Amino acid sequence: MGDGFKIFELVKKVLFTDFVKGLSITLGYNVSRSITHRYPDEEKWIPYRRFRGLHTLNKDEHGRELCVACELCSKACPTQCITVIPMEDDTGRGIADRVAKVWKVDLVRCLFCGYCEDACPTRAVRLGREYELACIDSRCNVRQREELLHPQPTPEAFEGGVVARATFIRKKRSIKVKADLMNTKKRSI
Amino acid sequence: MEKVLLKNLGKPDSHRIENYIANGGYRALEAALKLKPDNIVQMVKDSGLRGRGGAGFSTGLKWSFIPKDPTIPKYLCCNADEGEPGTFKDRGIIDNDPHLLVEGMAIASYAIGAANSYIYIRGEFAFGADRLEAAIKEATEKGYLGNNIQGSGFSHNMYVHKGFGAYICGEETALLESIEGYRGQPRKKPPFPALSGLYAKPTVINNVETLACIPAIIEKGPKWFSSMGPEKSPGPKIYCVSGHVKKPGLYELPMGTTVRDLIFNHCGGMLKNRELKAVIPGGVSAPMLTTRDLDTPLDFDSLAAKGSMLGSGAVIVMDESTCMVKMALIINRFFSHESCGKCTPCRDGTPWLTNILKRIEGGQGRQGDVELLESLCTNIFGRTFCPLGDGAVMALRGALKNFRDEFQYHIDHKKCMAS
Amino acid sequence: MHGVIIMATVKINGKEITVQDNTLILDAARDAGFEIPTFCYQADLMGIGSCRMCLVEIEGQKKLQPSCITPVLHGMSINTETPTVISARASMLEFLLANHALDCPVCDKGGECELQDMVYKYGPHKGRHAEKKFKFQEKDYALSPVIIKNSNRCVQCQKCVRVCAEVVGANVLGALGRGDHQEETSFFRHFLDCDQDGNCIEVCPVGCFMRLPYRYRTRPWDLKGADTVCPYCGTGCRMVIEHRDGVLIRSKAQLGVGLNSETLCARGRFGCDFASSTERLKTPLIRRGGSLEPASWEEALGYIKEHIPVNIGNKMGGIASPRLTNEELYLFQKLLRDIFGSPNLDSTARWEPEATEGFIKATGMDEGGVSVFDCMESDSVLVIGSHLSDENPVTDYIVRRIKNTRRMSLIIASPREMKLDSSATIKLRHSPGREAAVLDAIALAVNAGKPSPAEGAALKDAKIEDLIASAGVTKGAVEQIAQRLLAANSIAIIAGMEFLRHPEGIPELGLLKEALKSSGKKVLVMPALDRANQRGAWEMGVHPAFGPGYGPVKDKGLGCAGMLEAANRGDLDMMYIAGADVAAMHPDEEFTRKALLKLKLLVVQDIFLSETAKLAHVVLPGSSFAEKEGTFTNQEGRAQIIRKLLPPPGKAKRDLDVIRAVGEVYDPSFGPKMPVLVLDEIRNAAGMYAHVSLAFNNKRNTENKLDNRHALVQGSATSALSVTRFSAATTEPEGRFHLTTGNHLFHSGRFSRRSGTLLGLLSAAVVEISEKDAASLNLKSGDKVKVKGRHYEAILSLKTKKGSKEGVAFIAENYDDVPVNRFFKKGEPAPRVDITKVTY
Repeated sequence: MGDGFKIFELVKKVLFTDFVKGLSITLGYNVSRSITHRYPDEEKWIPYRRFRGLHTLNKDEHGRELCVACELCSKACPTQCITVIPMEDDTGRGIADRVAKVWKVDLVRCLFCGYCEDACPTRAVRLGREYELACIDSRCNVRQREELLHPQPTPEAFEGGVVARATFIRKKRSIKVKADLMNTKKRSI
Repeated sequence: MEKVLLKNLGKPDSHRIENYIANGGYRALEAALKLKPDNIVQMVKDSGLRGRGGAGFSTGLKWSFIPKDPTIPKYLCCNADEGEPGTFKDRGIIDNDPHLLVEGMAIASYAIGAANSYIYIRGEFAFGADRLEAAIKEATEKGYLGNNIQGSGFSHNMYVHKGFGAYICGEETALLESIEGYRGQPRKKPPFPALSGLYAKPTVINNVETLACIPAIIEKGPKWFSSMGPEKSPGPKIYCVSGHVKKPGLYELPMGTTVRDLIFNHCGGMLKNRELKAVIPGGVSAPMLTTRDLDTPLDFDSLAAKGSMLGSGAVIVMDESTCMVKMALIINRFFSHESCGKCTPCRDGTPWLTNILKRIEGGQGRQGDVELLESLCTNIFGRTFCPLGDGAVMALRGALKNFRDEFQYHIDHKKCMAS
Repeated sequence: MHGVIIMATVKINGKEITVQDNTLILDAARDAGFEIPTFCYQADLMGIGSCRMCLVEIEGQKKLQPSCITPVLHGMSINTETPTVISARASMLEFLLANHALDCPVCDKGGECELQDMVYKYGPHKGRHAEKKFKFQEKDYALSPVIIKNSNRCVQCQKCVRVCAEVVGANVLGALGRGDHQEETSFFRHFLDCDQDGNCIEVCPVGCFMRLPYRYRTRPWDLKGADTVCPYCGTGCRMVIEHRDGVLIRSKAQLGVGLNSETLCARGRFGCDFASSTERLKTPLIRRGGSLEPASWEEALGYIKEHIPVNIGNKMGGIASPRLTNEELYLFQKLLRDIFGSPNLDSTARWEPEATEGFIKATGMDEGGVSVFDCMESDSVLVIGSHLSDENPVTDYIVRRIKNTRRMSLIIASPREMKLDSSATIKLRHSPGREAAVLDAIALAVNAGKPSPAEGAALKDAKIEDLIASAGVTKGAVEQIAQRLLAANSIAIIAGMEFLRHPEGIPELGLLKEALKSSGKKVLVMPALDRANQRGAWEMGVHPAFGPGYGPVKDKGLGCAGMLEAANRGDLDMMYIAGADVAAMHPDEEFTRKALLKLKLLVVQDIFLSETAKLAHVVLPGSSFAEKEGTFTNQEGRAQIIRKLLPPPGKAKRDLDVIRAVGEVYDPSFGPKMPVLVLDEIRNAAGMYAHVSLAFNNKRNTENKLDNRHALVQGSATSALSVTRFSAATTEPEGRFHLTTGNHLFHSGRFSRRSGTLLGLLSAAVVEISEKDAASLNLKSGDKVKVKGRHYEAILSLKTKKGSKEGVAFIAENYDDVPVNRFFKKGEPAPRVDITKVTY
């Protein structure tokens, strides 16, 4: 080990070289473009159509429920998280006179495999793009038919795969991230 | 040729028993009653008479299957349910010469020992049914029917049973079901009607024309009968000619008259002298013959050799202006409408064929339809309960075989080749 | 048939097999282990060969042949697996699907559909049919309160029509239209007026005929089932009951299982929903201050212990329902006899114990079981004293089906017209309650007017003319019957519950049997009973005069009527009634209530708060047939297992546990605990049951002829029964109609009234009279009429029957709103009633 090296070390110490180097990385990030989503406060990721999130029960163009309560989804489900109880209703609620009295899914058990979609003969059940499933009460882990029949915030026509502007709404019993689909940008990595 | 079956046609009041007797009627019955029943069966067997209803089974042989036990009641049924499109020979006999049929049936009943016989007549033949009933009444009054006929000790009653218009009731077992009051659907065979027929008793079912031949056989002898026409299927035959000929109608000719002879000689040639395109030789279920088959003799065996059949002898002649797809559709629609609904391939297969043909004819044919038709024909043929389904398929197959390009043209060009 | 059996050897797919001549190719192939799919074939029905699924290739024949109607011929060579055959099957399925609705997701049959299974197995997996389908109708339509129809799914196998005509005998289904528009339905799709048994639903291979109560409630794979025995009549039909989430949803029969095979009646098929009724008792009740209050088991048992001393003896009485299992009944009589030391035991509120004892002897129940199929092998079958078509519908189906397939004579003697009449060779309409005179007249006619040695004394002075006049029949008919019986080598008599209602006929039944036997004929007698385990109750010794296996008892006790009288006198203090509704079923309701109210302690064990339970001091909640294990012995003497499907509701317990708990209060070793162990004890105590095998219970049988002898009970070695002669019953002089009672087709006893579906089938109580009587009274079916007896009058709707005996009015014993036992009065002659139209 020579003296020259010692001097070099000393100069570095005097001039805070490592400190400046480190700081330059920190400061560099401070001014560079962010790659983190500012979720949930400002941004929200809107997935592609192929995404498998919360179940949705669809209706046809006349507003009739597509579900005929054939129970194939519940039969196909590997975790048996779907319960269907059929009933008769010929008032035009569904496309057939057989409709679901109960259609519920236990999200804690669900592994979002999409077998229920495959099994569905009427394309009534689809896995949607909702993924914010956490809640403060374990009862809300079981989602009922009435809830699933509401259209999801992201319409089917929307392409997805973008980051949208979002607002974070905090209430006493719940939190919500509301995305503005008119104001989106492509995700860049 | 001396006419046998249609000899009284056109004579005034030919349906009255006086005129019938004056022309030599009921002599055969009187002669037959002096013979032993077995002898009559043997005479009919010797004559070589084959059933004129379509299948061409030996009539004498059919009669000989009936058990001889006198304690068992037996029945004779006359199949006058003439429903095949293009066939009108039985009607000619029934309307104009009902006593010929009555006499033939009386002889046949005596031969098989039937005390009762039924004439199952098409419901639409109201006129014919009335004539027959009147004839039976006349014959009973004159002692040719009823108790102790002509002092022979043989008693016989004859009844007319009107059908309700189902084509399937011309099938012999469906006919029996219909007489018994059930749905007109064919029965399973075996047991054959000769052992268990009407009311589960031995029964003979013969066509009108077949029975009308019997008096002549008794009167003139089996030799005379078998000398007419070809050796294997002798006797006189009524041909019902319809379609594009100059003189359509009933023609009584010896068996084995050729198609060409019938059309160009007897019927006076083609209408408007157009080109002949196809001939259906024996009712709509028979596959058609084309111009190259014109010299085929019209008898059971020669037509079978050509892949067609004599059937009921309904010759339908079509000239060059005929659309074969439309013809196939009309024939098929008839069969699917008349399917009784018993067995799967006929019930569900024939309407399917009709639907496809309707599409092709209406210009909505799809590529592959011809192959689909052929494949469905294969699936139906030979798998139906009774020959109705087979008949539907044979007609369509005949059209597809000979005029496949016309079908294809319809699909490709959405219009007809012939027009 | 009695000649040599001709065998035929045929080759099936190269495998040589020897079968009886005339066997169908289909059966031969299935014997040889080859699968042939079918739709229209059903072993019990006449073959029609219409679906063409079973086509096979026979070497030497150009066309494929339907194997389900073609019998084998010696030397035939048959192929069932050639490419032609396989393609034929696929093509048939393609044709069937061409016009099939294909609405499997909505269809109730989806998941257990034969068409689905077949297409999966043999079918074309690609559809070529791209035409417009023909639709029979847009919406399903109801054919009855229990049957709903969707013709678009029909495969035209005609099984529904055939089962309706050949087995059920209702003849209400037929086909409309022709060709592909053929639709199997009721007469122009009108509502069905039939037995509502739903056998058309059961045989339907697709979702064309469906159950209305089951409609859109579940999917077959959600159901959990138990193979059990119907709890209604004594026929003993095997069936599967199924539940979803603890609710009993349906019961169904299984093809080739049990004596009933695929058939059930309306009660069995639709009446089991009582088990899931909300009115079920869920907790013990104790009478406190006049009303019944919920209590715990400890309190209830403590109450009993406090009030019933051990060895109370004659002061105690017990009645157990013939709907309990053999094990429970056995333990019940053990409790009464051994713990309480009481000989007072009965299994029914309806009959005299002497009558039942005589009936058992006369029908030879103590000589072992008699199978209904053996009966139907006889040359002549006499049905007497039973309205078989209503009381034992499935026995009626078996009789009809077999009668139609073989040469035999069926003789029916009954006052009322019944459905089976159409199959009868001779039917005899006699005056009600005159079975004795009918049997005597037949017995005399068989011996050309003189009594046979066997009948010697009893008929010494009898004149056939007097008997005929008393029975209200014609001499010609009796002589015809005698001729038929004389011509037969083997005779079976099916004797029903009328003998218990009018017990003077019982000795005559025994006499006729002996007389026929002594003339060298083989005679079988089968009782036709109306409670699921009536025979078992007797054989377990729940009877005052005999113990288990009809063995003798030390001292004979009182029957139900005797107990009530003793209670009324104050000689009987306490009663334990398990399952029986004495107040509703015992003739003379007023007296019964009075007697029951005089008891110091009335313990009632039941599943509903019955009329009797409402009078009790302690009510113990028991279990229905769906909630316990055990065995039932049917009318033939066939012991069959029932299985547990559900837990008893609430705090209710299995009946066995209830009886045992009561016993353990006094003797902690009272038991055994398990039904199986009780059965072992029964085998020891009643020799009849020693060799009963329950192993057959799950045996499938394609021919539907059970190998039944293993299951039948054997003769009792210790039987000590005697036949009592009853004097002929008298009837009141006033009144146009003789009132008779029995079970309604849709009901059996009172608890079928808790079945919502069965209630829906028959909304109001009905009185039934002959058409002639109705015409002379200017009444017609459906009219509201007043039925007036000396003690009671009620308003009912009228039903007329064509061939019934005149002067007979029938009111079923099952209606809550018209308790027929109010017409009856203890110790008085049989009631007569007048019927008048009610005008508003």
